[in-house]
Amino acid sequence: MIVESRELRMKHRIPVVKTERFWKGLEEGKVFKTVCKCGKSYYPPRAECVCGATTEWAEVSGEGIVECFTVVHSIPAGYEWSKPYRIVIASFGDVRVMGWSNEELKVGDRVTLYTAKDESGVWKVWFKKV
Amino acid sequence: MRKFFNFFAVFIVMRVGVVGAGCSKFGQRDVTIQELAFEAVSEALKDAQLSQEDIEMSVVGCVGTRGYELMPAVVVNEYCGFAGKGPIRVEAACATGSAAVYTAYSSIKAGIADIAIAIGVEKMSEVDTATSAAIGGRAGNYLWEFHFYGTTFPAYYAMHATAHMAKFGTTEKQMALTAVKAHRNAAKNPKAHFQKEISVEDVLKSRMITYPLKLYDCSPIGDGASAVILASEKAVKEHGFDPVWFESVGYSSDTSNMSMREGYVGLKATRMAAEMAYKGAKITEPLNSFDLATVHDCFTIAEIMAYEDLGFCKKGEGGKFIENGESDFGGKIPVNTFGGLKAKGHPLAATGVAMVYEVFKQLREEAGNLQVDLKHYRALTHNVGGTGHFCWVFILGR
Repeated sequence: MIVESRELRMKHRIPVVKTERFWKGLEEGKVFKTVCKCGKSYYPPRAECVCGATTEWAEVSGEGIVECFTVVHSIPAGYEWSKPYRIVIASFGDVRVMGWSNEELKVGDRVTLYTAKDESGVWKVWFKKV
Repeated sequence: MRKFFNFFAVFIVMRVGVVGAGCSKFGQRDVTIQELAFEAVSEALKDAQLSQEDIEMSVVGCVGTRGYELMPAVVVNEYCGFAGKGPIRVEAACATGSAAVYTAYSSIKAGIADIAIAIGVEKMSEVDTATSAAIGGRAGNYLWEFHFYGTTFPAYYAMHATAHMAKFGTTEKQMALTAVKAHRNAAKNPKAHFQKEISVEDVLKSRMITYPLKLYDCSPIGDGASAVILASEKAVKEHGFDPVWFESVGYSSDTSNMSMREGYVGLKATRMAAEMAYKGAKITEPLNSFDLATVHDCFTIAEIMAYEDLGFCKKGEGGKFIENGESDFGGKIPVNTFGGLKAKGHPLAATGVAMVYEVFKQLREEAGNLQVDLKHYRALTHNVGGTGHFCWVFILGR
């Protein structure tokens, strides 16, 4: 015999005040990392360095190299709207960036990044082959 | 005089032993989380010939994000008869079980308790698969990864697989061989989630989950519990236990964001934890030091990377290692003799405790038709949380 629990629905309100530059940047076609005068770079960006100093915003640009990828066929809750999607991590100098791609990328391929909305309306990073 | 004793105490290394162990049947289980935990706890108590009154500290490991009890430690603790003793609830994703064992071990090392129990329990089958996938995807960093890119847990390991395949030529067939071995061992383990042998063909033809991982490359979503009772050397003498001793403990962790990792062909946390454990037990040749090992094979690629990161073979040679049968019964180091996460099952928090259960049974020569030959009387457990977000390596000996 099985008893059904009371329904519990959760949708969180996430404050992104400290990294707003990044979130706004996506809408402007820019992808930001942060850098610290101590020499550390952060992607994903963070407003304060572990050394305690305030970091500075810098754009990620140029060509990257695909480090690894996958194509997700077993779609998780929250992505019901999506067909199978390709996740890629590419290195851009001192940072690695995660993104989606519509192209059949392989490890070692050279890519550039751009930003666009997905079908659910979320702005994100995408890669295309050079 | 007191100063003298304090000085002396620093140099007395009080050993900690496992003195009893229990494990439930893994799989889709129609029992509540507390009933499931009690199956393992009562077996462990009986095994050690102890009752609840003898236990001074209880640690409950549970990831607990899929069950209806969101804060299950007190529920489990009460039902098992330990109200008033702990519970300390711990969480370290898929390494929660080892975190529980480590916490119980630490409480004995610190002199807080002489006998402690570590319970790992997980109910994963109460929600649907898509929900489970979305929860598992949150084992990394939700905001920067799952939120944007839908990084499910299999996807994280699949990315390691594509990197490993590209760099070392590791094949899907080699990965499949670890699943075939796991099922072959689990078929002889009545507590395993799956008791059916499979072929390489079955794996290769199974449904794609996230390229290149197919259904049979993945550990199942299921329920299970395991419990181990740990005792100080003093308690071992008093009770006359026949323990399996902790020879050393290693642990490490890594970044929550996959994009912040140095590389994708192995897990740094495993290498660091192993280095710490090997140093503690003075092990210089990992391949020739253990009668068996349990490694964290949540996905087939994870087992191949584990061979390399634990130093059983060189980086990049994990595919060949399984191909040559080195990790099978009769090989250089039998790995996951009870069926591994892949086929025995992977109820998150139960896994790390069940690894200790497995080596305890093997080292006491109580493993029945899955018994390995003992030469070193020493075994290793390797439990990873997330994708190398946490790692514990235990070395136990008898």
